[in-house]
Amino acid sequence: MSGAPRRVFITGMGVVSPHGHDPNTMFERVYAGESAVRGVEVEEAAWHPDLIPLAPADFDPAEVIPRSRRMLMSRAAQFAVVAAEQALEGAGLLQDGQGPADAGVFIGCSLGGSEAIEDAYRLLYGKGRRPRPMTVPLTMANAPTAHISMGLGMRGPTMTYSMACASSAAAIGEAFRAIRDGYADRILAGGAEAMLSGSTVATWHLLRVLATGHPDGFHASSRPFDAARTGMVLGEGAAVLMLENEEAAARRGVEPLGEIVGYGAASDAHKLTEPHGEGQVQAMRAALGDAGLKPEAVAYVNAHATGTPAGDVVEIAALKETFGDHARALQISSTKAVHGHLIGCAGALESLITVQALAKGRLPPTANLTDPDPLCDLDCIPLQGREAPDAEYAISNSFAFGGSNAVLVFRRAGGRV
Amino acid sequence: MTPTEFLTELLIEKFDVPRESIRSDADLASLGIDSLSMIELVFDVEDEFDIQFPEDVEFKTLGEAVALIEQLIAEQGG
Repeated sequence: MSGAPRRVFITGMGVVSPHGHDPNTMFERVYAGESAVRGVEVEEAAWHPDLIPLAPADFDPAEVIPRSRRMLMSRAAQFAVVAAEQALEGAGLLQDGQGPADAGVFIGCSLGGSEAIEDAYRLLYGKGRRPRPMTVPLTMANAPTAHISMGLGMRGPTMTYSMACASSAAAIGEAFRAIRDGYADRILAGGAEAMLSGSTVATWHLLRVLATGHPDGFHASSRPFDAARTGMVLGEGAAVLMLENEEAAARRGVEPLGEIVGYGAASDAHKLTEPHGEGQVQAMRAALGDAGLKPEAVAYVNAHATGTPAGDVVEIAALKETFGDHARALQISSTKAVHGHLIGCAGALESLITVQALAKGRLPPTANLTDPDPLCDLDCIPLQGREAPDAEYAISNSFAFGGSNAVLVFRRAGGRV
Repeated sequence: MTPTEFLTELLIEKFDVPRESIRSDADLASLGIDSLSMIELVFDVEDEFDIQFPEDVEFKTLGEAVALIEQLIAEQGG
């Protein structure tokens, strides 16, 4: 560490998401409670229903990435470079198609190129033919990170974090620390995930964690905190934040979009897929301690809540334990009701939503929350978004299979650079 | 499809090479075909013509590639 801790500002954002491919559109659709979930026909459907509720990103790479580059990139990497360019452009850091050479790239990704693994296995085991050699660089989990760095000429440290659903929250948190503690001035941090391919969806379905349909339609399948919730809905996309230390941002005279003020990580050491409150409480306390905040300072929680019967209840209990009496005053929402669970990109997408919620003074709702589970008896902002112009601090929770928990603390910018 | 036709289409369709820069004496590296792309290109050619390139094979230009493919088709009866 060199010198005193530095403040870490968010100066740009980029996204490819089930709700469109720019941060503002994405936020407004999430705020309106518009569901991007629909019934999708998934190939090789022998092991699951014909239609599965999913939240795909309607994204045609042909429009933005030349074929010769696309050939070397998995879908997740394609999402990542598009989101990265947006964030750099928004931050005013894109010059002649290149980013700042001193910047690092920290990206969370759980599964890398799932469709490329699938293609290789289909050739090898299905057709008895040789798989493509390009499978190797397409499937590696750090490919999205690498393509951002290569394509945009960013030569700082490139780190890839892979801890399932907490991957991108950890990537952002570790980037925050690296900048705060003086190891880097600028890092592009976020996540990328594209795992809506046949075998992946089939195995998630067989694990019995995916939501089934709902009488109101597939759009209502993802129901965090609701009594009728049946499981999670998988989504896909990429989301990144341009993070800069206070001085670097001030030198450029940019208006920050928000600030990261704390990060905590802790592990359940319990079960692979069963959430455990203790690790969640420990991560939230660590994040608040890192930010030097009392629990009462937090106005909004973007919950991890995926809509599984077990997980949402555990998170509510963990929030009660962490925040004590203040838990009843928290305004909580799980935006996964409308964008699904983006796994390795979940924390990053939800960070973009949380930053904008504070900046715009509007808290997005938990859509589909028509009949709250009695065990989820906190204020989970049912159905309608809310004005909250005074909300200054918010946390975003990400709790993963494998028991990794990561919590980020955000502060409204308020033009203080 | 002849080897020339196939390679021409492949370079245009898959590797974004402009049609006007495709000539028999064009250096493949100068057309943007790096080592990784070359592996992909060889795979496509092998699958199309049912031939196998030797391990130590080298070719630089489009013309050399076409000559080699024609030779391999003749030798391997592809």
